[in-house]
Amino acid sequence: MQSIDRPSINPRSRVNLLDHPLHVMLVPVPIVCFLATLVTDIVYWQTAAMQWANISAWLLVIGLLFAVLAATAGLIDFFSEPLIRNLRAAWIHGLGNAAVIVLSIFNALIHTRDAYTSVVPSGLILSALVVAILLVTGWNGWTMVYRHGVGVRHKESA
Amino acid sequence: MKSIGLAAGATGVLLAIAGCGPAPIDPQRQMGANPYLPPIHEYLLPPMHVAKVVGWNGATPSAVSGLKVQAFATGLANPRSLYVLPNGDVLVVETGGPPGPVSRPKEIVMNWVEKTAHSRTKPGQRILLFRDTNGDGLPEQKTVLLDHLHSPFGVVLVGNDLYVADTDAVLHFPYSTGQTQITAPGVKLCDLPGGPIDHHWTKSLTASPDGTKLYAGVGSNSNITENGIQAEVGRAAIWEIDRATGAHREFATGLRNPNGLQFEPQTHTLWAVINERDELGPDLVPDYLTSVQDGAFYGWPYSYYGQHIDPRVKPQRPDLVAKAMAPDYALSSHVAPLGLVFYSGTNLPAHYRGAFVGEHGSWDRTVLNGYKIVYVPFTNGRPSGPAEDVVTGFLIDGDKARGRPVGLAVDGGGALLIADDTGNSVWRVSATSGT
Repeated sequence: MQSIDRPSINPRSRVNLLDHPLHVMLVPVPIVCFLATLVTDIVYWQTAAMQWANISAWLLVIGLLFAVLAATAGLIDFFSEPLIRNLRAAWIHGLGNAAVIVLSIFNALIHTRDAYTSVVPSGLILSALVVAILLVTGWNGWTMVYRHGVGVRHKESA
Repeated sequence: MKSIGLAAGATGVLLAIAGCGPAPIDPQRQMGANPYLPPIHEYLLPPMHVAKVVGWNGATPSAVSGLKVQAFATGLANPRSLYVLPNGDVLVVETGGPPGPVSRPKEIVMNWVEKTAHSRTKPGQRILLFRDTNGDGLPEQKTVLLDHLHSPFGVVLVGNDLYVADTDAVLHFPYSTGQTQITAPGVKLCDLPGGPIDHHWTKSLTASPDGTKLYAGVGSNSNITENGIQAEVGRAAIWEIDRATGAHREFATGLRNPNGLQFEPQTHTLWAVINERDELGPDLVPDYLTSVQDGAFYGWPYSYYGQHIDPRVKPQRPDLVAKAMAPDYALSSHVAPLGLVFYSGTNLPAHYRGAFVGEHGSWDRTVLNGYKIVYVPFTNGRPSGPAEDVVTGFLIDGDKARGRPVGLAVDGGGALLIADDTGNSVWRVSATSGT
């Protein structure tokens, strides 16, 4: 359905480097960090070996730093291009990832606690929730690019 | 714009929640044998509230009526502990902790906070000797007794043997009365748990009344096992070290950070002040003063104040918790007692024949606690009443620190000496009527 409405001009990404949209180049870092946090949290929960919880704490901070950069690029793209703002997928993607950042800030604070309760149960639950949201926001992000061509340069203008 | 508003709103909520926590109770409720223990409150963001260091600028601490405070020494480099030799010479240990590794992002923030709470002066790694030559109680001579030590803290003299507890070893030096400088190299009597983490690094030291044994306080390597239980081998304990052979055993365990090791003069039992765990709320867990029983286990890390389980420790050890002893006397939460001395002199008014405790002061409580010297009355070798503030004035305007008291000692004239690391001074407290 949506492909029928696809405009003849692809929505542009304002924040780009030589026509390479920055947002999609930044997002792999937080996605992998937050996914890995769930893994190391689970391993800590099972082993109570502190090194795993320490790794989670670093992953959350690094993930958050890059998430803020990615969000900044994404927000500028979103507000500078009406064609993006018209996409339902863009709203789901943006609001979902805002929730990911807020929950991950809480999660990083939980992970500053000492020893077991820095992970179990609150940290572990937040890590799992974030990954669940990322599945939805990731899917919608791919919809924006592969269905609606957000940030994709036209073949004829290449 | 909606998402920006949402993010801003969420951040506001987050900050509000982070600042939240139970209001601190009156510390008086946590003094003595049966302190009130509130429910555990684990923070999202602990209230890191340390006093801004402003220095003394010529002022002195204030003492209760009947006592006066004089500057014994100023311009020092982080003086943390004191020891008075039999001839009245006063040893002042200038010291600072070794740098620890950063294993979590949190520690970057914590290190920064800790730095703001301490003097900017680079700590010395030496022991100074002060001598009063004209009997006015204040020193006229100052020499460097020992230099190039490794985070020293405890000092004790037994006969002609001087022992210094560096953070990683007890060193032995031959010493004769009146000597003002030691040039002989120290000989290691016994290793102590040191780096690379060395979270609680101050090793308090005392000797048994008969002089055959030394006792060393070895603090834990973490707040609550967050560096792994394997980092805690031999720690959170008081070691008994045989003076003849250097062999050691753990005399008592489960003491998170024991300092101020002292034998009570009437009963000859060992006492210490203990810094309990952080981040369970503004009023958990009370720091305490306790007699130390041979072979006893005092809870850390598995439980606090007897058998109250700490949920942060996994795996738990119910077998150890079952025998965890409650300590004798609570000093209220986060006061950070680092100095203890039993007073049996004659200079101070007869009211003071118990224990003085030096409280370095809190960092994780919205209303600061500690930052003073308290007196705990003793009768027949046991605490016998509420603690009284004796020397205060380390804080001004509620949250600025002129100094922070650490180690205590009683000098040859019977006055109380206070090491003030943040104020880089040693204070002398004596009766208003005499010297």
